[in-house]
Amino acid sequence: MKKLLLSMLLLLALPTLALTEELKLGEPLTLTEVTKVSEINKYPEKYAGKRVLIEGLVINVCAARGCWMDIASDVPFDKIQVKVVDGEIVFPMEAKGKTARVEGIAEELKLSQEEAIEMARHQAMESGGTFDPATITGPVSFFRLRGLGAEIK
Amino acid sequence: MGWRRLNHVLHRDIGYLCIGLTIIYAISGLVVNHTSHGFNPSYVIEKKTAEVTPLKTAGQPDAGYVAQVLKELGETAALKNVAMLSPDTMRIFVEGNTIDVHTGTGKVALEKVTRRPVLFEMNYLHLNKPKGLWTWLADIYAVALLLVALTGMLMIRGKTKWRGIILTGVGILGPILFLVVLL
Repeated sequence: MKKLLLSMLLLLALPTLALTEELKLGEPLTLTEVTKVSEINKYPEKYAGKRVLIEGLVINVCAARGCWMDIASDVPFDKIQVKVVDGEIVFPMEAKGKTARVEGIAEELKLSQEEAIEMARHQAMESGGTFDPATITGPVSFFRLRGLGAEIK
Repeated sequence: MGWRRLNHVLHRDIGYLCIGLTIIYAISGLVVNHTSHGFNPSYVIEKKTAEVTPLKTAGQPDAGYVAQVLKELGETAALKNVAMLSPDTMRIFVEGNTIDVHTGTGKVALEKVTRRPVLFEMNYLHLNKPKGLWTWLADIYAVALLLVALTGMLMIRGKTKWRGIILTGVGILGPILFLVVLL
């Protein structure tokens, strides 16, 4: 019985060991040329609907479901959000502070004022922060990447 | 061996095979069901605030200031990276901890993340994060569960026939009624 329990614990420890290596999530990366995040944010119309590969520091991860992460841009204080379908890819919390290469479809999200407030509130709750609805005064549109595959190391 | 005996043996032996994963999936299912903004089933997330010496010089902080902040906080984990989120907010990433420092005021927000022992691994399997081979194993488990259910239904007979029919009916009607009321 003791041996059985030890074997089961060892089996459960295996994924922990596996997670310490480079993490590959979702579809394998197919692109080799990296597009700068600043380029995508500067010329969104050029990249809308296109498949791109980005690379950068993971500065935030969805704390509830791991369904999005923010990638720092090559330009100071700028970033882009990578959103994935819940459950299809789950970004681990340990990804924060690591470098990620993410492939996905660039898309523009147009939100009414109400939708933008709701989304900001939702994200503030997910990251455990606070949010002041007065900071959103009208419709909001922003660019993000619909993530298809990622490598984090 | 008659078909009833074969059915019984299949039900019993497939059931034995399913015990391990059923326990893992059931426990993981319970905690994943209760995922919310305040509860992550795989990680313990602790948030704290603190204060450190503000950055005295104008401009961006250097490695010396980062080391000073970590020393003042008593943080000894390995430094992973540093990023400036805004001109006056620095985010320091160390193993298991994310530290936001307002360089002007010295106010600090810490987010310590640790894996929930055993639950992390159970959720890892239940949510099929490994993909690949695990997808196949999980599929086999799903088919095995289906076989346990089907062979179980064929065992409804004899003295407990009506008890079997009623309990099976309750189990099947439960989710159907819930959907009818909900939709």
